[in-house]
Amino acid sequence: MSTVAQTLSGPQPNIFMPRVAEIVRAKQVTATEKHFTLKMKDGQPMTFEPGQMLEVSVFGFGEIPIGYASSPTRTQTFDIVVRKVGRVSSAIAALEQGQSLYVRGPLGHGFPLDKLRGHDILIVAGGIGLCPTRSLINYILDRRSEFNKFTLFFGVKTPQEQLFLEDLALWRKSTDVAYYETVDRADQSWKGNVGVITTLFKKVSIDPGTRVIICGPPVMYKFVIAELDGIGVPRSNIYVDLERRMKCGIGKCGHCQINDKYVCLDGPVFCYKDIENLEEAFR
Amino acid sequence: MNPSSYFLKEADFDSFVEGMMKTAPVFAPVAKKNWFVFSPISSPKEVRLDYDLTILPPKKAIFPVRQDLVAFGPEGAESALKPEPRILFGVHFYDIKAIDMLDLLFRENNVDWNYLAQRESTTIVGSNIQKVAKRAFWATVGKGVKPHGHDAFITKVLGGYVFDVLTPKGEKLLASGKFKPATPAQVEEAAKINTEIMDKCPEKLTHGSHEIAAKVRATFKSKLWDELSHTCFSCGTCNIVCPTCYCFDVQDNWNLDQASGQRARAWDGCLLEDFAKVSLGAGACENFREHRGQRYRHRLMRKAAYLNDKLGGPACVGCGRCSTQCVPDIADPVRIIETIMES
Repeated sequence: MSTVAQTLSGPQPNIFMPRVAEIVRAKQVTATEKHFTLKMKDGQPMTFEPGQMLEVSVFGFGEIPIGYASSPTRTQTFDIVVRKVGRVSSAIAALEQGQSLYVRGPLGHGFPLDKLRGHDILIVAGGIGLCPTRSLINYILDRRSEFNKFTLFFGVKTPQEQLFLEDLALWRKSTDVAYYETVDRADQSWKGNVGVITTLFKKVSIDPGTRVIICGPPVMYKFVIAELDGIGVPRSNIYVDLERRMKCGIGKCGHCQINDKYVCLDGPVFCYKDIENLEEAFR
Repeated sequence: MNPSSYFLKEADFDSFVEGMMKTAPVFAPVAKKNWFVFSPISSPKEVRLDYDLTILPPKKAIFPVRQDLVAFGPEGAESALKPEPRILFGVHFYDIKAIDMLDLLFRENNVDWNYLAQRESTTIVGSNIQKVAKRAFWATVGKGVKPHGHDAFITKVLGGYVFDVLTPKGEKLLASGKFKPATPAQVEEAAKINTEIMDKCPEKLTHGSHEIAAKVRATFKSKLWDELSHTCFSCGTCNIVCPTCYCFDVQDNWNLDQASGQRARAWDGCLLEDFAKVSLGAGACENFREHRGQRYRHRLMRKAAYLNDKLGGPACVGCGRCSTQCVPDIADPVRIIETIMES
């Protein structure tokens, strides 16, 4: 090991020091989710890759990890979606346009764009798994020629839980993405597919050479991966975006560990092949 | 810098400590009831270099139990990073190894100056082990990992102390005491003392680090973990007393004025029930290590297997603190590892 003395002298930046972001737009999009469009107060653009995340905070309440919900190709502002579940998320959800919050990021590793370019893409998003994947979806749509066939599956429990309704309306009509959606439980307003997200695999033919991105509730992964195994998609072409308790976001605090990996540092996006043998990755 | 050895007469020890205290606060082992603790001292008489083991490891002088990270108020936020010069005196070699591991872990990937700034402001003086703790096994754990990163080392010999200077920071301490160059005989005596102590550990691992790491990792799905953790209280004591544990929680705290406060970190432990728990909303939650067997296993994986490639050996230094302080006495790494090796 090298000595600490070797790092002596020079500035000692505090990695926990957040920056101020102003709320350009705030919109309650479901009963529990609020969509924020943010801009850095210092005027600097927020540079990040789809799939990366940031720690968002309100002082006096705390910090939580949230994925970027907008594409880095849209540089003026960036988006996050907050689900109101606890103390910190409730404090964030209480904020409105014109107020500000604190952010630290970008953190972690996002989707491997270099390995996705030039290939067919399938994104499987469950519930608020659409938030971080929306960053990649809009990235692909903004640079459509760099990717081949693009298919998107989106599933929620009930129609009321659908997010980004304006995006969904666009994607339904778009010829740039083959968009399929489902709900676990329909109501009278719902005319579409009913069933868990894997029922969408019957609707479309997926080429075994497709690069697949999965993001959703913990229970969803093994069922989607079983479908992909059936199609013959190699596990080295499957990427999963995982959630854990990422308290520090910098690979120190230990809460987000999956065996010897830190989700906030090595992920949150992992190649499935790299973690399929980690006992703690899936349930 | 080549080590150079000096001699300090027994009678000059107190004036040396007093001299150091004039340059910076000194943290040293002191008696507390029938235990020892590392504590800031106000008199050289408090120093007990004959301690066997301290309740908490000396890492607390660098990585405190609770540490402010950011101060906030109505006007905004500012960094709470305020390192102070400090002398950490009388550290046994196993705790030096542990601090060296933390140095690497806080520096790798994302540099955390909230640890490193205080580390760099700290001068570490090691000391030889005069009394062996009853559950110590430092002689047989991570033998390939040598103590490193300390600035000086003091060894009690006949009539005084041999003081080895290892870094420029250690050399500065010479000005605080009446040192003379050590004689070859004194240097030899100190070396002999530090070698002979290695045969005095009451507990022993019977396998090497690589072999242990491979076998422990391969037992991940074994029923042993549930069996061994059957009486675990999930109290986290094994984490809190460990010199190589560095997990922490981050919390915001308000001052009484309800307008300002601090974002602070505090030691946390992977044995605690909610360590890996996330909220899903509507009262639901997902606990990624729900059962105590899973948490108990995670600690040992971290100590014996996961970090070995980075650290060059296990993330355990054999101090025996967890073994001593675990209430149901199920945390002893020697017993766990020996059970696994025999399984």
